[in-house]
Amino acid sequence: MGAERLRSFLTSRRGHLAFFLAPALTLITIFYLVPLILSIYISLTPLKYWQLNRYLTDLSHPLENYYRLFYLVTHHPDIGKVVITTIVFTGLTLVVNVVGGLLLALATYLMEERFSLFYRTLWLLPRMTPIAVYSLLWYYFFHGSRFGILNSILLSLGVIHKPVWWGVDEKLLPWGAWMILVYVNGLVGVSFGMIIFYSALRSIPREQVMAARVDGATTTQLIRYVLIPSIKWHIVFVTVWELLSLLTTYAHIFLLVEWGLIDKWWGTTWALFVFNTAFTAQALDQGLAAAAATVLVAIGLVLGLITLKIMGFKELMIEPRGEL
Amino acid sequence: MVEVRLENVTKKFGRVVALRDINLRFRDGKFTVVLGPSGSGKSTLLYLIAGIYKPTRGRIYFDDKDVTNLPPNKRNVGLVFQNYALYPHMTVYENIAFPLKLRKTPQRKIDEKVHEVAKLLHIEELLDRYPHQLSGGQQQRVALARALVKEPAVLLLDEPLSNLDALLRVKIRAELKKLQEQLGITAIYVTHDQAEAMALADEIIVIHRGVIQQKAPPKKIYEEPANLFVAGFIGNPPTNLLKARLVDGAIELGGSRITIPARLPRDGYIVVGFRPEHASVDAEPLENHASIPGEVYVVEDMGKEKILTIIIGGEMVKVIAPPTAEFKPGDKVYVNIPYRRIMLFDPETGARIEA
Repeated sequence: MGAERLRSFLTSRRGHLAFFLAPALTLITIFYLVPLILSIYISLTPLKYWQLNRYLTDLSHPLENYYRLFYLVTHHPDIGKVVITTIVFTGLTLVVNVVGGLLLALATYLMEERFSLFYRTLWLLPRMTPIAVYSLLWYYFFHGSRFGILNSILLSLGVIHKPVWWGVDEKLLPWGAWMILVYVNGLVGVSFGMIIFYSALRSIPREQVMAARVDGATTTQLIRYVLIPSIKWHIVFVTVWELLSLLTTYAHIFLLVEWGLIDKWWGTTWALFVFNTAFTAQALDQGLAAAAATVLVAIGLVLGLITLKIMGFKELMIEPRGEL
Repeated sequence: MVEVRLENVTKKFGRVVALRDINLRFRDGKFTVVLGPSGSGKSTLLYLIAGIYKPTRGRIYFDDKDVTNLPPNKRNVGLVFQNYALYPHMTVYENIAFPLKLRKTPQRKIDEKVHEVAKLLHIEELLDRYPHQLSGGQQQRVALARALVKEPAVLLLDEPLSNLDALLRVKIRAELKKLQEQLGITAIYVTHDQAEAMALADEIIVIHRGVIQQKAPPKKIYEEPANLFVAGFIGNPPTNLLKARLVDGAIELGGSRITIPARLPRDGYIVVGFRPEHASVDAEPLENHASIPGEVYVVEDMGKEKILTIIIGGEMVKVIAPPTAEFKPGDKVYVNIPYRRIMLFDPETGARIEA
């Protein structure tokens, strides 16, 4: 009888829906919803040093971690630096990624196909390189000794007379550290925008571009009046996507800070702060880290929604009115 | 308005030769139709004139001005595409105004011109709509308006009616012809539809595999096709073409021997052509006609006429008969073709043999 009921459920409309959505829902539940709920729960406990038995059931001061976090942000100078670094890093890298990706896509779209493919592949290299290898590359490049590539070039050109610790030198902070952060992450990030924008540009009917040329458009006018308006929704998508991933990225940054290439606090973003607080020996303060992570999710959600609102996502979802 | 001239123009894409050594003159203020099957190179020809492609060899002139190396935005041509290629993010008004806006025309002047051309094409009430809110026929008019608003030296049309349904196509076809006459603009129109070509053209250029087959007014193309390709391409149903043997200077066809007043080789082969509308089907052979015996295979009643398919010596031909004709499959009949309507072609070269 059980088999019979299962069968009638699977052949019903709801059964079909459940069947096809189940894999995705399962993955989202296991890898996103459950951790999120766990994380929020942990943020309400005083969990530290992974002493689960001792702290995990203690809900006597549920908002304690949030008070601590607020106090740190407002009173601790280093945590203040983390907040500013996060804002500057996310903002600047977002601009670099979206504008850079757009420029690359336009350039590769307008150039001859055989050069275009080569050029696009070139820009994908950073993304294909393992994170540690890629970070190491820039570690050597920006290294503060006279053997650092940038230093050795500038020294031999006579621009500087002694080696510079670009990301650590007090005189260059905070911008020294920020520039390296933006540069290293931007170089990986632009390829995403480039790929999306390039394929979007390629899907514009060829005749529309021809028509614009015949109508008298120069390349600049073509870009401004036809190409960019045609890929507006892709720009919205990439902006939101990059914003959210920049808020949560920390892999490259972690390595560069760890290796001492950039300043510990002017080089730490909120996501890295969460990681360090939870997992490094100095802190191991999982409750506080969970609170910080929860705040980050909330901020990401709000910023994402605001961006969609500003860029008119609703308009995109309205069904066309069709032929009249 | 200008005269467009192509001198020794060749266009290759990689190793593919799209157009081979083209010499053409498109007369000022005339409606010229470039007719050919798909892949014949006709659109390439149009894009060369528009400046979207550059010729591999040869020169292109607008009157005496060499425009070979000018980009499209310096040529002042209007171009209408088969899929209209309207800008989807602009309203009809903005679409039409676009060429003028690019030229930095003052807003007041733009407004004036857009309304003028919109009135001409009866789309004034559509100006604030977006392309996706228009029907195919309306989009087509907008595309035409956009091409005309800048008063182009040449109007280029690339299969502009092919995406419309059959009824609308015939309607807009007539309007297009009227419009061109009214404006006196040099128009070059590319199509694969021979009926469109016949209806619109002052002059037809038939193109096949990148080579010009014939250039002549419609009537001449119809009555005196230069070769087998043109004869087979023009007309609906198309010209009947039958391969025949020559015996002592006479044509042997379907078991009967036809002697026509033309000088022919004594023997060998020849292709005999005649149009379905020029022959008649009768029970008896007729005087002054080539009469070939055959058997009725199919009768299609089109209302205004009947299309008969007749088997002659194992091959099928089509003949148009009056609606009153009473034939049924299996009838033994004679296909009678007036001598002066018979076309003869060289089977080797395909060229027409002048009688």
